[in-house]
Amino acid sequence: MSMEAALQTYFTEAREMLEDMEAQLLEIEHQSAEELPETLNAIFRAAHTVKGSASLFGLDGIVDFTHVVENLLDRMRDGDIGVSADLISLLLRCQDHIATLVDETETNGEVSDDSLRLSRALILELGAFLQDDQPDSAKPGLPSTTEQGAETQDLPMGKGDDAVDNDCWHISLRFGRNSFRDGMDPISFLRFLESLGKIRQVVILDDWLPDLSEYDPEDCYLGFEIRFMSSATKKEIEDVFEFIREDSDIHILAPYSRLSAYIDLIDSMSEDDDRRIGEILIECGALTEAELAKALALQSTIEEAEQSPRLGDIVTKDDDRLSPVVDAAAQKQTQMRDAINRKQKSLRVDADKLDHLINLVGELVTAGAGTFLQAQILGNPELIESMSKLNDLLEEMRDASLKLRMVAIGATFSKFQRVVRDMASDLHKEVDLVITGADTELDKSVVEKIGDPLMHLVRNAVDHGLESSADREAAGKPATGTISLNAYHDSGNIVIEVGDDGKGLDPDKLLAKAREKGLVGEDQQLSRSEIFDLILRPGFSTAEKVSNISGRGVGMDVVRRNVIEMRGRTEIDSTPGEGTTIRIILPLTLAIIDGFVVGVGKAAFVVPLDVVQECVEFSEVEQTERDGQTYINLRGNVLPLVNIRNRFGVRGERPMRRSVVVVKAEGQSVGLVVDRLMGEFQTVIKPLGPVFSGLSGISGSTIMGNGEVALILDVQGLVQQITRGEHALEKN
Amino acid sequence: MSQTNSKSNLPVKGQSNAVTATGLGAAGSDENQYLTFKLQEEIYAFGILNVKEILEYGKITKVPMMPDFIQGVINLRGEVVPVVNLARRFGLKASEITKRTCVVIIEIGAEETRHELGVMVDSVSEVLEIDAEQIRPAPGFGARIRNDFIRGMGKLEEDFVIILDQDKVLSVDELAAVQQVREMAPEQLESVEEKSEEDAENKEG
Repeated sequence: MSMEAALQTYFTEAREMLEDMEAQLLEIEHQSAEELPETLNAIFRAAHTVKGSASLFGLDGIVDFTHVVENLLDRMRDGDIGVSADLISLLLRCQDHIATLVDETETNGEVSDDSLRLSRALILELGAFLQDDQPDSAKPGLPSTTEQGAETQDLPMGKGDDAVDNDCWHISLRFGRNSFRDGMDPISFLRFLESLGKIRQVVILDDWLPDLSEYDPEDCYLGFEIRFMSSATKKEIEDVFEFIREDSDIHILAPYSRLSAYIDLIDSMSEDDDRRIGEILIECGALTEAELAKALALQSTIEEAEQSPRLGDIVTKDDDRLSPVVDAAAQKQTQMRDAINRKQKSLRVDADKLDHLINLVGELVTAGAGTFLQAQILGNPELIESMSKLNDLLEEMRDASLKLRMVAIGATFSKFQRVVRDMASDLHKEVDLVITGADTELDKSVVEKIGDPLMHLVRNAVDHGLESSADREAAGKPATGTISLNAYHDSGNIVIEVGDDGKGLDPDKLLAKAREKGLVGEDQQLSRSEIFDLILRPGFSTAEKVSNISGRGVGMDVVRRNVIEMRGRTEIDSTPGEGTTIRIILPLTLAIIDGFVVGVGKAAFVVPLDVVQECVEFSEVEQTERDGQTYINLRGNVLPLVNIRNRFGVRGERPMRRSVVVVKAEGQSVGLVVDRLMGEFQTVIKPLGPVFSGLSGISGSTIMGNGEVALILDVQGLVQQITRGEHALEKN
Repeated sequence: MSQTNSKSNLPVKGQSNAVTATGLGAAGSDENQYLTFKLQEEIYAFGILNVKEILEYGKITKVPMMPDFIQGVINLRGEVVPVVNLARRFGLKASEITKRTCVVIIEIGAEETRHELGVMVDSVSEVLEIDAEQIRPAPGFGARIRNDFIRGMGKLEEDFVIILDQDKVLSVDELAAVQQVREMAPEQLESVEEKSEEDAENKEG
């Protein structure tokens, strides 16, 4: 893995870690005392990994800041600092800030000055918490010393007769051959180690350097013996080397370790000559010569007794104090293995590769349809039989491959925990967010696009939907309002609901407001749902005052536009006094639509089937014209027409019989005048590309069974043109 | 589908001078190789590196309301690819569609904006190797086509070949920008539309 690729992986992982951290932070407030330690641990681990990996790449901006956060988390974990709402808020801000740092580092390669300033400001705030109960450890950037201080005091106890007189940690490192290839630079580990304490002495072992002829510059041949002064715990030091643990030989001996531990170290090292490692130990000051002599003597007696206890055993046996640490380390390793095993059950695949596959399968379905057509023309029953079997399989295959793109909506929903929490505290409301249907899967492209509309809806619900606590109590409702997010599948569609149990919408008030703004004519009658739909109109806001959160009447219009772009629709349900539910109904996938094919001249156009209402016969005599717009009377209703032939300048003979396809979009029915109706056709949407970016009335293209390209009509656009045209005429 | 593959199968039907695999595999770097083609008695060339394949002119779907030099779109193995009528793009009268009319598929843009465009030419000739020193800058005047379309003039034995600057000729900004102008004033261009319609029908007949 190249350094660049490793860095990229880091950014991705750091973001995941931070999302995790946020989710856990939000959970803390609802947790019982028993669950708390595990959550705090998880948060700490996330922060620690972000920092640890950042230091590998020398991303100081991230390391320096995260380190302070980590310290605070560590103290929380130990129970030194209690959990409070203020603290969680601060940590959430810190988590945001780390995310910013990561983003900046990814885009600019470094952290901006503004962010550094914010880092310092946040460190001061964090310092306040750290200082509250331990004034002397408030110096940011250095690890806290409380817990280790206690340990150090215990240490002389272990300083028995055969304990070595060494107040430093001793670390033996033998880097794996592939360290460089894996993107691991030994020097960065040493640098990171220095953030935990002071390196007294380093002996670099180059014994493994081969002859120049065999030397591979990409291999790592280095080993280090380090004498390290620190108050960190063994686990903390071990964590420094977390990323190379698998491939490298790492031995860490605590200060005042027993001689036997050193013996074991000498034993376990792969060096040919025990004396060599012994000399190194002396060289870096870990052992005195006398101690080494004693150790070697002891080692031979041990060997004679055919005892070769493992390092862990010795440490545990000799020093009960360390056993929890060893256990913790062992447990952590198991956890990591489990996590790795779990990860392997799912596969990370480049989205482009998936898109390519889905594209190919789409083509296969199209080609299959074409072949089936040929088979039918030939009229060979066996061929038709086997073709239809093949087609069934192809369609199953398409469905299966589309499922590959499906992701659960849960991750999108849980982002709103934070939004709701922040808004609630800004607005001094009490709000609960209830999420259901988090497992509901939908197309990745839909998930990406649904975020913004949902954000507007949720913000709107908290701000306008829910009343203040006092108002709620006065209305006999619980003081805490509820916002619900729900998702479920409904007959080939996906439904996403945003609900609140607030004051609801008042249809009369809405209508009055719409009339006042001139959005609805004085004598125009609207159905209940049409009235509710008004809130999605641009420039329509019922909020009496504009807050910084919402009320400008912009957001809801964005919602409507985004949903329409995804070929979806919205439904609003509301009962005054009981709440409002806004439903977004979307097609399962954006790549395939059910189309209705119509012919005009020699050209074929596809109309999305879900907007088609009915088809009626066209009669030129019945149409009336007013200001260049033609209409027909459809069972007593005025139906404006779009003559596709004229609109798109299609030439050719006009057939005697023509048809009107009645489509409905944006609440407006429009008739499309076409030559022929050619039936339903399931089509894969192909974008038309940048050359056609400004084309109106056409939303894309598709390939028909016979291999020809057909254009998909942009019904929304056509309808809008008509309604705009009408307004323009009215103004004149 | 590898590029080499598609180039070596250039399906130029019934042409003695059709490009063959040997022609392409000949010594010399690809950078100096050019695909030459005829357009109304003039020889033009595109650098071979961006030429993906050559198709026989066939079924084409007209896209309404596009400028006259956008002939339409074709189905290229499942991708919808726009086709530019090169003669019209040069401001010339559209060529008659014959059996030798070809669509040259060219890849333009880089990385994320990369996409394919088809270019309609009268007939494809051959792949030529033209050394860099044999290429003169575009003349300041006298060319039938816009000066910025010309990357250089390649000298052949007794003739010149006009090497086209594909990024200019097929500039997406320009192709799309023209259309926006057209959208503003559809009536003015009505006559052009009809003409291209006739052409489309000629070819189908």
